[in-house]
Amino acid sequence: MSFQYVVQQILNALAWGSMLGLMAVGYTLLYGVLGLVNFAQGEIFMVGAFSAYLAMALGNAPFWVGLFAAVGGAVIAGVILERVAFRPVRKAGGITLFITSLAVSIAIKNLYIMGLTNKIRPFKTPAFLRTVHDWHGLLIYNNTIAIVAVTLVITVALLLFINRTKTGIAMRAVAYDRETAELMGVNTNRVIVIAFIIASALAAIAGVFWGVRFGSVQPTMGYVPVISAFIAAVLGGVGNIAGAMVGGFIIGIGETLFVAFLPSELIGLRPVFVWAVLFVLLLFKPSGLFPANIKPS
Amino acid sequence: MKTLRRILGPIVGLGLLVLLLFGVDRLFPPYYHHLFVLFGVNIILTVSLNITNGFTGLFSLGHGGLMLAAGYASAYLTMPVWWKAAHLSLPSWLTNVHWPLFPALIVGGLVATLFGFVLTAPSFRLKGHYFMLMTLGFNIIMVSVGENLIAFTNGAKGMCPIPTYTNLWWVFGIVAFLVYFVLRLKRSKLGRAMIAVGKDQTLAETMGISASRAKMAAFAISSFFTGVGGVLLVHVIGNLFPTHFGLDIVFDVVMMLIIGGMGSVTGSILGAAIVTGFVELLSPIQEGFTLFGFAFPRMFGLVQLLFAVALILILIFRPYGIMGERELSLRSLGNAARFVGRLIRPRRSVA
Repeated sequence: MSFQYVVQQILNALAWGSMLGLMAVGYTLLYGVLGLVNFAQGEIFMVGAFSAYLAMALGNAPFWVGLFAAVGGAVIAGVILERVAFRPVRKAGGITLFITSLAVSIAIKNLYIMGLTNKIRPFKTPAFLRTVHDWHGLLIYNNTIAIVAVTLVITVALLLFINRTKTGIAMRAVAYDRETAELMGVNTNRVIVIAFIIASALAAIAGVFWGVRFGSVQPTMGYVPVISAFIAAVLGGVGNIAGAMVGGFIIGIGETLFVAFLPSELIGLRPVFVWAVLFVLLLFKPSGLFPANIKPS
Repeated sequence: MKTLRRILGPIVGLGLLVLLLFGVDRLFPPYYHHLFVLFGVNIILTVSLNITNGFTGLFSLGHGGLMLAAGYASAYLTMPVWWKAAHLSLPSWLTNVHWPLFPALIVGGLVATLFGFVLTAPSFRLKGHYFMLMTLGFNIIMVSVGENLIAFTNGAKGMCPIPTYTNLWWVFGIVAFLVYFVLRLKRSKLGRAMIAVGKDQTLAETMGISASRAKMAAFAISSFFTGVGGVLLVHVIGNLFPTHFGLDIVFDVVMMLIIGGMGSVTGSILGAAIVTGFVELLSPIQEGFTLFGFAFPRMFGLVQLLFAVALILILIFRPYGIMGERELSLRSLGNAARFVGRLIRPRRSVA
């Protein structure tokens, strides 16, 4: 187990950490404004990846168009879900919302399995993303660089949006205290829809990253990142966007190293790691590592 | 009159159940037999889930893991010795036992209770969806451990020739006992404490109810009977695969619970009947069929899709299920009949 091996594993984990971070930001936003733990986020991620796949495989579109198709498809799905499934049960509280999200997740997944069968499909990646650099014996993929760079740009843009624009401030106000925000004239319905749009777009981008990174998509792929990403969001402190991003990287790298150091016959125990993190976290520091943006009760 | 009814009610109910079972046993083909057994197992699972999720407000999604633990424990006891010797590396005293169903049921229930205690007792101080997530995580860990501890569980290849001990009489004997027990529990001091904690924990504690005791008791009872249900299920289908006890089975039981109404025992029975019936009705459609000469292809996932949509609709339009927290009784049936009668009876015409 050389030092180089560890560094190589961490490098490989950066892309996975970026995907988890993007998904975690979606969780944190929705949990903040709505109190919703949205397990359907994994299916939005899958819908995004499949929109890109369908555009590129059936429509023969170039990669950039695929990326736009992914974001478009996921945002449409997210807005429809908000209107059809989540808004009617909003008043019933967190548990009902959570069960609704589970039901939505199962419905979308099975819809895709019905329509497209649960086959693994190859995801077309442009050549420049497939290049590998050899730097002092470390293999660096071009797609790692691209994924991390795009993720950082998105994070900065999102932080600026949340902290500097009027809509962003409204969003934080709703997350902090919805009723008071409403009294101050904030249109909460609009804020919630915007939160859904942002969360869906981020999940779609993460889905395209998944396709680029692993070269394939599948209707059940949403199940993989959804829990890790949620735990990343809790780790980062609910409502804290930078925290969610950092949490994503911590969980991504931790998971990869955990598997890397495990004997090969126990690789299937991977889920145990994230859940162990969650157990410890919830029992000893339920508020997460970074300050949360919730009203102290 | 009241005491008479209290004594006679259960006896009459039991008599009717025995008659019904005799009917199913003698008159119907074996397929319905199997369906009825599944229905009974689903009642056990739903009613026991009701104690935590419905009464006490501890929304657990980890009962699949408890069923899995109980299933393994009972399979160790009832499976043929040669199979265990060939596939698993168990201690020799465990390899050489070959027990009948009843002790396996008890052991399965106790093992499930133990797992429920050890792994979820620390999470009682979590509230709302944090508790749900913790239990969900417990379920996923259990399945993943079951798949990977190959020396003890045979991994994803599963434990295959489990003797099919379960029959109608075992299942419905336990159903009758459980339903009676839980209906009594709901009226007892402990049951009322559970419900009070579920409604408002702070208020209940102010009134001198020990919330942690009520929660512990609820989880223990619920785990025990979930374990029993898991053992019965494993001995109906005759095999044990860890993936079978994943999120899908948890979701199915939660469906039954929510359709019937959380907090209502008779509602749980209704929910179990509806879901079991619809799964059996819809499964052939999923396999593909021909209608008016037009061949519909196989559509895997259709049943799950329809159920998920149905669940969303129920949550939107009838969030408290069919029964809410009420119970179906002869008196409420009479009221309903009178209500329907009043609707049907033609109004006296004026003029």
